[in-house]
Amino acid sequence: MRITFGSGQAAAMQDLEKVTAELDRRQREVSSGRRMQSPGDDPASWAAAIKERAGIASVDQYVRTADSATSRLTVADTVLSDLVTKLTAARSAALAGQGSVQTDQQREATAQELEGLRDAVYDDLNATFGGTYLFSGGAGITPPYVRNPDGTVSAYQGDANELSVDVDRHRSVRISFDGRAVTLGTDTQDVFTTLDQLITAVRTNDQPTIATALTGVERAFSRVVTVQSGVGADLNALDDQRARLSEMKLAGQSRLSKDEDANMAESITGMQQADTAYQAALGAIATRTRLSLMDYLK
Amino acid sequence: MSDLFTSLSIAARALAAQQTGLDVVGQNIANVNTAGYARRQVNLAAVPPRDRFSAGGGVEVTSITSTRDALLERRLRLETPAEGREAALADSLSVVESALGDAGSSIDGNLTEFFDAWSTLAEDPTSATARQGVLIKGQALARGFNDMADGLESARRDADGNVRGLVDQIDELARQIASLNAAIGRSGGGSMALSFKDQQAEAIKQLSELIDVDAIENSTGGVDLSIANGRALVIGANAYSIDVTSDARGFAQLSSGGMQVTSEITGGRLGGMLHARDVVIPDYQDSLDGLAFALASQVNTQHAAGYDHSGTQGGAFFTPLASQAGAAAALQLDPTLAVDPGLVAAAGTSTGADNGNARALAELRNARVLDGGTATLTDGWARLTYRVGQDSSTAQAEQKNRQEIVSQIDALRESVSGVSLDEEAMMMMKFQRAYEANARYFTTVDTAIDTLMQMVVTG
Repeated sequence: MRITFGSGQAAAMQDLEKVTAELDRRQREVSSGRRMQSPGDDPASWAAAIKERAGIASVDQYVRTADSATSRLTVADTVLSDLVTKLTAARSAALAGQGSVQTDQQREATAQELEGLRDAVYDDLNATFGGTYLFSGGAGITPPYVRNPDGTVSAYQGDANELSVDVDRHRSVRISFDGRAVTLGTDTQDVFTTLDQLITAVRTNDQPTIATALTGVERAFSRVVTVQSGVGADLNALDDQRARLSEMKLAGQSRLSKDEDANMAESITGMQQADTAYQAALGAIATRTRLSLMDYLK
Repeated sequence: MSDLFTSLSIAARALAAQQTGLDVVGQNIANVNTAGYARRQVNLAAVPPRDRFSAGGGVEVTSITSTRDALLERRLRLETPAEGREAALADSLSVVESALGDAGSSIDGNLTEFFDAWSTLAEDPTSATARQGVLIKGQALARGFNDMADGLESARRDADGNVRGLVDQIDELARQIASLNAAIGRSGGGSMALSFKDQQAEAIKQLSELIDVDAIENSTGGVDLSIANGRALVIGANAYSIDVTSDARGFAQLSSGGMQVTSEITGGRLGGMLHARDVVIPDYQDSLDGLAFALASQVNTQHAAGYDHSGTQGGAFFTPLASQAGAAAALQLDPTLAVDPGLVAAAGTSTGADNGNARALAELRNARVLDGGTATLTDGWARLTYRVGQDSSTAQAEQKNRQEIVSQIDALRESVSGVSLDEEAMMMMKFQRAYEANARYFTTVDTAIDTLMQMVVTG
């Protein structure tokens, strides 16, 4: 086959283009750190990377939700602990009021202590976190209890929708509570009414009423403990869930890295090889085009 | 028996013949870089003797021909359109690819942020900021779709612009070939027509990259061309241009001789661009529209199942779309909702105070609503990206393959028709030595005549 002037040039250009293209590709891998610059480089991996990123973002959102739920429930737990303390103190005061050797002054002191405890319980139930009430159910901006004009505590103002949030695809956790679960339960009157009755009964030394009110306080106490253990269990579960989510995120990120990131060692080696090949190609072309028979004709 | 004067004229003719050879070498060397040039060669023949006792009549130049292999030319013309088509497709698709954006920051990023906003709202349904956040991210998502639809449409318009430009180039080349046909006819064949044939071969090669053509040699030595299913492009000295009209959407429709040929042109860059404009890109646009339509209907349905903060049943979130066609470009937030965050239906019960619907809407990110219940919305986007990437890489790979084939045929053609400087140098030496030898013979015969003259004078 004849090798002509034109065919030699054309072949040299094509080979040079191939080598340059490889050098360019490797250099872009190294400078961007990424294996793919466009979907066409590896369509399957690109699509997998899109899905992986969406998965990681989803896990991130669950983590954010779990974190904020944890903070909220921690506050709820603190409030419930305080309620436990207050109701225990109320019970002790009621027991003291049951004694027969109480003087009027002592009874008055007990009554005032109970008033203080009732106010503390009222404040606890109106606890907020992040601008919303913990014990109003879904009605986050409505306080669960307000003061009537005559100083007594109103009826429950919130609703029965306890809000939950999702911390995984099929896992949710409660973040707000129906206040009546604590104050009322299955009783006919709420704990504030009971406490008011107790205060009046202590003042008037009305023993039968004190006894009835005492059992009411004890029932409120067990309700608070029940709710608190639920919250405690939720907090433990959230800890586990956060650990699980963090593992999922790590696994997702390592899969993503396999899809997207260039193997630096391989890319740099490839780039050096391509560079050598490029220089060799240039040298070969220069050598070839230097001589022709024309140089030797006199 | 020939006399000395005849020998002298034989020598003179031989000198002329060798000089012609040198001229041909000079012509070849001068045209070493001319595109489409086929190496000329001079054909010499010995002149037969007039009678039994004469050695011969010397040499004469019978013809100057060009070395062109018709079979290779034809193969080249058949293989080039395929390469042109894949090249055009690859170009068009790389524009679409770049419009798709990076993983995580394109429509999939918008979808993620939209659903995240619903999750944030579910954490605190009373928060006005969270409601506003949902509207803002919904707006961004709709705009993401609008922009993507724009990108695809402008890629389609690009292809259309290319189609128009290519038709212009094709018409120009056709006119060139037709006028070369006329020139070849007028020149009367032989070596006079050779340079016209060179130009014509080059023009046909360029044309076959743009569109697939059939070529038939006609009676005057020129070439008749036809395109698509036998529609005439060039007949003799007449060129028939491809007519371009714009359809209702402004895209070019091609016709030749009054008949529509748009769908019949499948080869060459023109065929590739038409395929991209009329089949490939509209397919992607359909998929994008399907995604937007599914998003709007799913979100609207779920939103309508919930209640806003005043307990009213939720209205439309996105403006309801009449049909899938054009959904991506038309997607937008419902205008009434856009100005009143309170209308966001976060609640699942009619008290309007819980977060049930916000949670359900956040969960839509995992709902398999596409392709008969097998793919989530993000999956749908990933599938579209996959198809574009796959089509693009296939086109590029095909183009490389075809280019290899074309290069190989071209190399064969070069080896037959191309000029080799070393070879021409050899020929130059050949004719130069022959010229010297013939000149020496001329001098010798001249000296013999002189001797003869001397004999007559002194006798």
